[in-house]
Amino acid sequence: MDPIIAIIISVSLCLITVFFCYRYVKKTFDDVDYVLDSILAKKTDISLKTMEDSRLSKLGHKALRIAEMNIMDVSQIKHEKEIIQSFISDMSHQMKTPLSSVTMYTDLVLEGRITEDERQEFLYRIKKGTEKLQWMMDSLVKMSRLEVGAIELNPVPAGIKQTISESVSDVYAASVKKNISIETTYFDDIMLLNDRKWTREAIANVLENAIKYSSIGGEVNISIEKLPIYTKINITDHGIGIFSDEWNSVFKRFYRGRNAKGIDGAGLGLYLASLILEKQGGYILVDSRPGQYTTFSMFLQNCKK
Amino acid sequence: MVILKTEALKKYYGKEPNVVKALDGVDLEVQEGEFVAVVGTSGSGKSTLLHMLGGLDKPTDGKVIVGGKDISGMTDEQLTIFRRRNVGFVFQSYNLVPILNVYENIVLPIELDGNTVDQDYVENIIETLGLSEKKNHLPNNLSGGQQQRVAIARALATKPSILLADEPTGNLDTKSSQDVLGVLKMTSTKFHQTIVMITHNEQIAQLADRIIRIEDGKIVTMEGWI
Repeated sequence: MDPIIAIIISVSLCLITVFFCYRYVKKTFDDVDYVLDSILAKKTDISLKTMEDSRLSKLGHKALRIAEMNIMDVSQIKHEKEIIQSFISDMSHQMKTPLSSVTMYTDLVLEGRITEDERQEFLYRIKKGTEKLQWMMDSLVKMSRLEVGAIELNPVPAGIKQTISESVSDVYAASVKKNISIETTYFDDIMLLNDRKWTREAIANVLENAIKYSSIGGEVNISIEKLPIYTKINITDHGIGIFSDEWNSVFKRFYRGRNAKGIDGAGLGLYLASLILEKQGGYILVDSRPGQYTTFSMFLQNCKK
Repeated sequence: MVILKTEALKKYYGKEPNVVKALDGVDLEVQEGEFVAVVGTSGSGKSTLLHMLGGLDKPTDGKVIVGGKDISGMTDEQLTIFRRRNVGFVFQSYNLVPILNVYENIVLPIELDGNTVDQDYVENIIETLGLSEKKNHLPNNLSGGQQQRVAIARALATKPSILLADEPTGNLDTKSSQDVLGVLKMTSTKFHQTIVMITHNEQIAQLADRIIRIEDGKIVTMEGWI
């Protein structure tokens, strides 16, 4: 064969190979470029074939996830903004009632055309109103700090016995007032991952509810049960109870149970308790039969050996 | 952001006049990072719904959109890849591979897709689920609760867009159930994992951010909308 023809053939073969390589590389680059453009344009409907078992498809899939993450971050911020807005409107709504009663009774007292008995009664109501506002303010500050992560909970191994007894002493006055006995089933102290100060608050909130919704002279029981990962602290009362379709809702902010209508409350205590437990990697559950019993179980993580 | 969405989703079994309407027009939206419980009695269509959401079965009519992608029209092969990359499953039965140890079971789906294992992430999951001590054990040597936790770890390891759990505590006693539940709850907060859990049990459902009730193939109520 003529060497020139051989050279021409091999050169043209090379050229053809180069041409195809160029086309392949160009296509790949174009695809990557397209994906990047889509990300920049904040589109997630990237029509690249992300559902094939090829390397390009995997790349496309990952790019898509990046784009999604971006959009998620933005929508997350929007969502938080909405939460804050609804929070503010809920809050102002909740504060209106005690505030207007304080204003009204103050006006009556200032006008002065009332008997001494009435004056005492009105002052007492003003005191009640301000106490409620004070309590709400405290809870709201705690809540907002916990929610935005301004307070970092610091769960460390700590015995739970002391924390429980501190919580009980927090609600002691309230229990004496209603002649309610708080019985604790004996247990050996257990080390649990928790932030003492906050756990005390959470348990006290649940106890406070147990007392509030029990009738005078009732009994509240505390018991401890150890599971493989968690230890649960059960608090049982024999008060009005919660219907099963509300078990999820009672932990929501500002939610009040259907049969709790006549009793004073803001719907913050249980929300705060569940928030505190959640921040420590724990959780809270309720079990109830209206008119018979209500048990709140708070779960905290056992210490890892 | 809406990560999961169904539009007028229908699934009918059988032919006229004996059509069974397992799902009869379900419209549903799940936000990214949300923990949703779907509650219904047996035969209400809740498991069928989960199968549709996970691309395990094809709808008769309507759409299932996951991460902006309509999966209802995909071929079987596309669905397989879709599931592998986007969905984590946890069933009542644990479905662990008996000859692989705990760690190998957890990373199996990652290796199946030909990806390298994100060691730190997987270790973090194992730690969170309380399995550090059991890493080299075979599934048969574990309790039911532990096996289910391995199944959850396996489902999470691929960083799926959604985690679908069908009666995850169905085979467990109360104590182990509460452990497994706690772990699910922790995952949803710690890893910001979107979870859809099917259950007939109110006790279990209350842990979710939101409860969706389903009856005769239709959504009857949604609670807890933020």
